[in-house]
Amino acid sequence: MRNEGNSFAKIAIAVAFSPRCEAMLAEARLLHQRFGAQMFFIHIGKKSLQEEQYLKHLLHRFELDKGNNQVVWEEGEPVETIIALTQQLDIDLLVAGALEKESLIKFVLGDISRQLSRKVKCSMLLLTEPSTHPKGFSHLVVEGTDHPKTENTIAVAVEIANQYLAGTVSIIQESDPGKLALIRSEELKENEAEERREQILKEEDEKLEEILRCTDCGNLKVITERIEGKPGYVISNYARLKNADLLVVNSPDKQLNLLDRVFPHDIEYALADLPCSLLIVHPKEKAI
Amino acid sequence: MMGEFFRQFKIPLVVGELFAGILLGPTFLGKYFPEISAFFFSKEGNVPIAINGLTSLSVIMLLFVAGMEVDLSIIRKQGSTALKTSVLGLILPFGLGYLIAFYFTPLFGNSNYSDRNVFSLFIGTAMAVSALPIIARTLMDLGIFKTRIGMIIIAAAMFDDIIGWILFSTIIGMINEQSESNTLLTFGLTVLYAIGMLTIGRILINKSLPWAKRNFSWPGGFLSISLGIAFLGAAFTESIGIHAIFGAFIAGIAFGDSVHLQEKTREIVNQFVTSIFAPLFFISIGFKVDFLLNFNLQVVSIVLVLAIICKIAGAGLGALWGGLSNRESLAVGFGMNARGAMEIILALLALQAKLIGEELFVAIVIMAVVTSVMAGPMLSWLLKVKPFNQAV
Repeated sequence: MRNEGNSFAKIAIAVAFSPRCEAMLAEARLLHQRFGAQMFFIHIGKKSLQEEQYLKHLLHRFELDKGNNQVVWEEGEPVETIIALTQQLDIDLLVAGALEKESLIKFVLGDISRQLSRKVKCSMLLLTEPSTHPKGFSHLVVEGTDHPKTENTIAVAVEIANQYLAGTVSIIQESDPGKLALIRSEELKENEAEERREQILKEEDEKLEEILRCTDCGNLKVITERIEGKPGYVISNYARLKNADLLVVNSPDKQLNLLDRVFPHDIEYALADLPCSLLIVHPKEKAI
Repeated sequence: MMGEFFRQFKIPLVVGELFAGILLGPTFLGKYFPEISAFFFSKEGNVPIAINGLTSLSVIMLLFVAGMEVDLSIIRKQGSTALKTSVLGLILPFGLGYLIAFYFTPLFGNSNYSDRNVFSLFIGTAMAVSALPIIARTLMDLGIFKTRIGMIIIAAAMFDDIIGWILFSTIIGMINEQSESNTLLTFGLTVLYAIGMLTIGRILINKSLPWAKRNFSWPGGFLSISLGIAFLGAAFTESIGIHAIFGAFIAGIAFGDSVHLQEKTREIVNQFVTSIFAPLFFISIGFKVDFLLNFNLQVVSIVLVLAIICKIAGAGLGALWGGLSNRESLAVGFGMNARGAMEIILALLALQAKLIGEELFVAIVIMAVVTSVMAGPMLSWLLKVKPFNQAV
């Protein structure tokens, strides 16, 4: 069950020839250095000599053209092609740049990065402010919900925090008021209702404590906090308020679509207005 | 007090409140002590008007709170198993209920039904609804609320609630509007209102709550806002020809979905309605008819058997289709079978609209009570779990 060794042996960067291209490759170099991963640079579109040379130049500049790193240049529908490639190449982490907010049209159609994050079968890192001089992540906010995927997500977050020498990891447990309200039936006496509520929260706390006991956190400062509110919204809001630089969440249990954007839940709250860079941890088949 | 007394024996509060109404109403007090009954509960003058007004307000608020308990994200997250459970759990009871009521109408009592089609649609709807609060409480009692099977039952019951009230609102609309084009218009408006409120309305409510938090007193001001939304929703739907309850129910979903709504606020709204208006409402049920005089064993048996078999078969087959085991599917069927307060509200509104007679009303109330009481023990037996307070 535990995440052993390097979680990200193969990292793919979705390359678009936008003004952020240079910064994305600088971030890729840092990831390459920290994880010692094999890098794949995926661009979907027609090959042009100018773009090919520009990419070569950037890869050389960031020392990413060495070893077994690869450039994959394909034509086709971007989202589906990238997803197919990540499966074909057995990618562990897909990295893409993303704007903090989607425009209304993009909200309906979904921009490429967000569409990928809703569909891709590997972990995905959305970088909101890639920099040509990346500093890594100093404060990680991690989902600590009672869910089978959480153990792996916390292990991955701790690994990243260790690699980037992050200062703080905040693990947030979200108490859904809707579910708690259902527990508080009018049929129960005040003390019975409170007893049940406490029992549920205690069980969740114990599970999280057990996960943390089994995770090698080293010298990391790990904070656990319980916040009441809608799952997804609360943690996203917390990351914004605390100026975190990476929000780490579980991957969705099913593919998300337009209805999930209209009636948002969990990860959709973060995707609607990214508070910082977002890492969606998708457990490897053997991990869960 | 009667509710509290029944609760000691693990019987839902609502049963005790109903029983209190039966004792105070024409079934007992009215029959054996008519002078006392007439003194306290006069059937002339302003008293009946006041009681009717109170009942209407209670129903609107109860439906608003029921709406607040519907969590759209749970429905979305539980995926196809919950959807299949819900869809078959609706279609089978609705279809069978409709067909049996349509072709064997006399089985449902001696009332003179003016429109057999509308009456059959109502029977179908009455067979299809579920009672979310009772189901949630039963799952909590058994400690399976947060399990996969618990969440599937909750999501399916929530979905059933939404569709059930859309159906019922349309049927109530059909009573007034007999032509086909108006029926379609009512249905169209119902769906349009639901979509509008759950999208634009929900966003507006969500955006305005932080402002309300800053500028209104808590909890008084917030309570006023929430009930204001409920009554606005109710008034709006009533004005466009849809029953007020539907407006309140959908407004409740939109309000309850806000990310700015805290547990304490929910609790206050919930307690205000369920502690004051729910008992008044359920007691008033006992005043509506003489339960002994209108007890017809044939009607009660038919309604009970039809309701239990249809719902268990429908939801159970849906769960089986969704990939659950035979035993789990049967447990889902029994879980979804609880009808509780929602069924009683539905029956009362149908009685008021003269859609059903008093015998059928009594039968539906009994069915609601029986299905609610049996859900816990059956689930416990099927899933082999002990209730929370008996856990070792």
